Amino acid sequence: MIEIRIHGRGGQGGVTLAKIIATCRFLHGYSVQAFGLYAAERSGAPLQAFCRYDRQPITNRNLIYEPDHVIVLDATLVGPAITSGLKPNGWILINDPRLPYEFAERFPGYRVATVDATAIARENELGTRSVPIVNTALAGAAARVFEFELESVHEALEHLGFRGSNFTAAEQAHERVVFVEDIDRQGAQATHPATPTARVQGIVDGGGAQRPAIRTGQWATQQPHRRQWTPPCNHVCPAGNDVQGFLQALARRQTDLALETLLRTTPFPSVCGRVCPAPCMESCNRHALDEGVNVRDLERYAGDHGQARLQAQPRLAQRVGIIGSGPAGLTAAYHLALLGYGVTLIEAGDELGGLLRTGIPPYRLPRDVLDREIDRIIGLGVDVRLNSRIERRDLYRLTLEFDAVLVATGLQELRSLDLGAGGDGETVMQGIDFLDRAVRNQIRVDGETVVIVGGGNTAFDAARSALRLGAAGARIVYRRTRQEMPAIDEEIDEALEEGVLCDYLTLPVRIEPMRGGRRKRLICRRMRPGEPDESGRRRPVEVTGSDFAIECDRVLLALGQSPELSIFPEGTVVHDGEDVMGLLETPVYAIGDLASGDGTVAAAIGSGRRAAVAIHYVFTGQEQPGLTPEAQEVIHAKGLRLHLFESQPAHHGMSRPAEERRLDFGEVRATAADPSEAERCLSCGVCNECDRCVTYCPEGVLKRVGHEFSFDYDYCKGCGVCAAECPRGVVVMSRL
Amino acid sequence: MAIEVVTGNHAAGYALSVAAEANRVGRGAACGIYPITPQTEIVEFVARFPFTKGRVIAVESEHSAMGVSIGAAMAGARAFTASSSNGLAYMTENIMVAGYYRLPIVLAAVNRTLGPPWNIWADQGDTLYLRDFPMIQLYCETNQEVLDSTVLAFRLAEDSRILLPVMVIMDAFILSHTQMETDLPEQDLVDRFLPPLNLPHQLRFERPTTVGGLTWPRETLSQRLEIDEAMERVAAAYEEHRAAFEKIFGRDPGGAISAFETEDAEAVLIASGTIASTAREVVRNRRARGEKIGMVKMKMFRPLPGEALLDAMPRATKIGVLDRDYAAGVGGVWWHDLRAAMQGRRDGVLMQDYLTGVCGGDVTPAMLEEVIDDLLDRRSAGKPVWKGIDR
Amino acid sequence: MNVTLETQDPITCCDECLVRPGNTNCGGCGMSVGLIMLDRALKSAGQKCQLVIPACCGIVTAGGYPTTGYSVPVLASTFAASPAFASGVAAVRDLNDEPHQVICWAGDGGTYDIGMAALSAAAERNEHIIYICYDNEIYGNTGGQRSSATPPGARTTTTPVGKQERKKDIMAIMAAHRIPYAATLSIAHPEDFARKLDTALHLEGFRFLLIHSPCPTGWKSEPAESIELVRLAVGSGLFPVYEVLDGWKYRITIKPNGADPLEYYRRQNRFPAAAMDADAVRAEVAGASARLARLAEVFPAG
Repeated sequence: MIEIRIHGRGGQGGVTLAKIIATCRFLHGYSVQAFGLYAAERSGAPLQAFCRYDRQPITNRNLIYEPDHVIVLDATLVGPAITSGLKPNGWILINDPRLPYEFAERFPGYRVATVDATAIARENELGTRSVPIVNTALAGAAARVFEFELESVHEALEHLGFRGSNFTAAEQAHERVVFVEDIDRQGAQATHPATPTARVQGIVDGGGAQRPAIRTGQWATQQPHRRQWTPPCNHVCPAGNDVQGFLQALARRQTDLALETLLRTTPFPSVCGRVCPAPCMESCNRHALDEGVNVRDLERYAGDHGQARLQAQPRLAQRVGIIGSGPAGLTAAYHLALLGYGVTLIEAGDELGGLLRTGIPPYRLPRDVLDREIDRIIGLGVDVRLNSRIERRDLYRLTLEFDAVLVATGLQELRSLDLGAGGDGETVMQGIDFLDRAVRNQIRVDGETVVIVGGGNTAFDAARSALRLGAAGARIVYRRTRQEMPAIDEEIDEALEEGVLCDYLTLPVRIEPMRGGRRKRLICRRMRPGEPDESGRRRPVEVTGSDFAIECDRVLLALGQSPELSIFPEGTVVHDGEDVMGLLETPVYAIGDLASGDGTVAAAIGSGRRAAVAIHYVFTGQEQPGLTPEAQEVIHAKGLRLHLFESQPAHHGMSRPAEERRLDFGEVRATAADPSEAERCLSCGVCNECDRCVTYCPEGVLKRVGHEFSFDYDYCKGCGVCAAECPRGVVVMSRL
Repeated sequence: MAIEVVTGNHAAGYALSVAAEANRVGRGAACGIYPITPQTEIVEFVARFPFTKGRVIAVESEHSAMGVSIGAAMAGARAFTASSSNGLAYMTENIMVAGYYRLPIVLAAVNRTLGPPWNIWADQGDTLYLRDFPMIQLYCETNQEVLDSTVLAFRLAEDSRILLPVMVIMDAFILSHTQMETDLPEQDLVDRFLPPLNLPHQLRFERPTTVGGLTWPRETLSQRLEIDEAMERVAAAYEEHRAAFEKIFGRDPGGAISAFETEDAEAVLIASGTIASTAREVVRNRRARGEKIGMVKMKMFRPLPGEALLDAMPRATKIGVLDRDYAAGVGGVWWHDLRAAMQGRRDGVLMQDYLTGVCGGDVTPAMLEEVIDDLLDRRSAGKPVWKGIDR
Repeated sequence: MNVTLETQDPITCCDECLVRPGNTNCGGCGMSVGLIMLDRALKSAGQKCQLVIPACCGIVTAGGYPTTGYSVPVLASTFAASPAFASGVAAVRDLNDEPHQVICWAGDGGTYDIGMAALSAAAERNEHIIYICYDNEIYGNTGGQRSSATPPGARTTTTPVGKQERKKDIMAIMAAHRIPYAATLSIAHPEDFARKLDTALHLEGFRFLLIHSPCPTGWKSEPAESIELVRLAVGSGLFPVYEVLDGWKYRITIKPNGADPLEYYRRQNRFPAAAMDADAVRAEVAGASARLARLAEVFPAG
């Protein structure tokens, strides 16, 4: 007689395995028995099943105490019970991907075989993901190990009505099972514990109050863990802001915390909250649900309403000179001052702010808002030298005066366009210069028709400023379509509302004078979209014979800017965040638009911050953890459980009516009345303590104390509900 | 003390009520009730009783009636109910729960033929068939005994050494609906006899248990063994409480068995319930004629007082068992159980079964005279003898 | 008693969860979630409870004697009689002016089927007990047989080709008893769940709560998807979430969100695709939803 004990878990099909093996032998003339040890076991609970077969009729009605072989359905069950009473030289067949050698040492005196029946069951889609049914695969392995015909497994499965992939699983296991036969038979322990007979406290004596004795964590085949991701908004933010972090603070109405979170990376939340193109909004995973979170307005809200006290580190000996007080220079000054360095800002103009002040009209960025944020930086103890233009020869002097020099002079070189001899300096001018003069009240364009060439923010700023300076009309010509315009979408909309006209797919060719006055004809040519270029945008192609004329008084060029490198020695190549002149003892860094040419305030902020970090590292050898975002995988919409969120339209904010606002330089958009839009933030990949995992844990073993979550793996059955119910991909399961 | 002429049902209802009322100083009393002929008057009495701290819940079935009483007992109250015949059958699942939960519930049962067919008359089959459950069974002969046994039953059931339900049983109509003089004791006497119940395993927040959950063989075996030990303690405990009862009420509520003229009797009749009265009178007459005949009235069926029975009839060589019941395929339940109790203890005794008054037939002195004649004539025991019907 | 007993020091605690870790319920069991939510509601209301549990998975939860998976007193009742057992316990509680709740915690078999008579009677008597049915639509404890709560189309061991009959409308039956409170609860909507429990915990008389309780073992579904499944049931209108006050005032507390009932069926292997008539299912659900909406409109609660 051969007796086999099967160690399995509820739901794995151990009893059925006993039945399959018994049937294999029965079909070949054996007397057989197969039975389980029935109790109230549940899916996942350890349980035993038995099988015995013999050529003689079987009369034994007892449990099997001294089996010839054992089968283990799950390697997590490997323990002392496995060899209890097992006869010397018996087989231990384990469902596990490891080789049998890894178990052999634990079972001296026994023969060990392993097969990855779970993988086979999954391959053949037997059972569910968390509870694969491995019995048919193990029957195939058992046939090989216990030396009965694989064909009999086929017959048995047919006989029992198991169809489909079950026999494939058996065949695969038969082939893949690995053996260790070479054993020292001395070590076998053939004893099994005696069945206990001690009396147990009765109910009238108060019995029945003990705590559960079962560590149900042993049932688990998988366990939950927490992982943090980088949300796409944080990933794409050129300034390196913790977008998710400040949004979640706002969602909880913790405006001060939101501001503090922003101020860890940017000194310009109120500025960026008005002028940032906000790639975070574009990358927002919420687009897959309804529409992206209006991050820009929320940053503005935090900047305008939050209160934060900044505390600089104790003063250090090193001094840093920063040339240029645009966003990059100011940001570098801000971080370096916070770190304790002596900082001197050297500005060619008569006011701080660079392009923020000269290039962005006040209706988008009111001066008091800008001044407030600059004052916060200067208030950290930053020295300022105004009206100090630095030429190439001055730079060397600065390297002697300072321990490090940052050059943040931005994009001084303006791109131009040859429109022939028909224009003059007053008729054709740079948009940037126009904006600068507008801010200084040095220009009016009353009654004029102004044409602006370009599609970026400067173009729209110039067009809208022209209207405010009395222009009869403002018309933008752009050689591509609206989709390709680099300007902020909302600004385009606002400009159109205010009456700015746009000629898309239009290329200005030349200016021709008109008789009888100052007016000119701007000759333009129609374009059509051609093949995509390397940037992926469709390259505009001229349409021959499509020229037409626009009558105008003035043409403003807003074609973009490029860095002006004349401050450096001839032939210097600049890279963002790298020492430009490595031969000098004093590190000299080019930062901001000068180094990257990106052209956004946010990028300049990021560059300034990174430079501060780099300088700090040069001086101290220390990383500044808060300033360097940890590199983690970015979570995309498919990593979230979007169906757990309710669709809710975004708050788009309030603007003054177009007909009113186009008459003055007062701010167009109002700051949001409340931060409720932040509640739309999905907090992608970052736990925001929504506690759904805690709420739904069927075992009550997932707990949160303060900000700490804990899983009690002693009792976690590994059902996976917590992971399935985590809306943001933080709780994940891993196989044991 | 007021002796009144009342029915057996009234006596039972009165006893249940005053015993329950006595626990007003404890956690009170509660029960579920449900009507069935011929016990309905019991629950009607109980429903009318003005309990100080008690609630009588009229439910939708006997099953639930016992269910309510189990819940009440488990919560620490004095609990009881009453039923009969098919009502007991329907209640059976919960009757056994009361026993296995070790609840001191008193169940007043009126013996009525189990149906079908629809038969409302006396037959002990409806209570005897519950013989395998952990429950003490007391069969009564008079209305007074019904009352006394019911009061005593609470004290016995609630004895911390026992903690088992007690069934107090009477014959349908012959006791249940027959008016006889009965001493209905005052409440204060009952109060003295029945201290407040303190169930050791009542549901408690400070020591939460799951009563009746999954229990493995060894653990269940432990509980069954405790029941067996409690059953073994019943005989002695009963005698204690019987003596206490006599002291307070001035009346013997009757022993587990009552022997009549058995010291030298060679032939003995064994009877229970009201048949015992008839049997005693017939035996008394035959004694007067010089025949060495005795009789034993068995009050207690569970636990079966086999030892006491043997001690009570040292010289008996012929025993006639009067069974008002019929177990299909066996015969009389009393006879079957007593024969087993006798086995190996006393050899050479002839024990014959007489099915008398089964299905509610009247058991007359004449019928019992025939039984005695048959018993005396016998050389060996035979199949059960059916009385009142021609074979 | 002069025998050697295996004992353990008595436990004096009730501040832990009603259902303890180490219970033997399946992974992903909806009943477990329901018990934990019940625990939270009780603690939030500052109340304690005694449980009466008939034969069902809930009594096996306790684990093997002498251990108990519950931290409150539990009385196991016979299958058909939990409301009767609870009535007795509650009566004695009231006689002694004790404040705790007596709660029946029963499966659908013990409620819709074998326990119907005792349930109806206790409701009619307006006993001061809370009766909670965790409805997993199957005799789960015995391995998955049909009950009158099993939905049409579901394959069970006793409906091998899918159940042909409708699911019993237990809420209509309970409402017909004119009890103070009857409500359906979904563990996928914890706030609504908690609010209804809190309502029940502060009302007098018989309160009936029906929880749609996913059973991965019986439904042949992924344990991890348990919550999602019952969420789909609510969203599609298959399990309407509402409450009935005094038997006639209706309030729908979670409205269906237009989810397709077929999606609910597809995710469970208990529903053989062949047995499903998609249009019929959708029509039936739409009809039931419309009827309930009309009731809530004509007889609104509060």
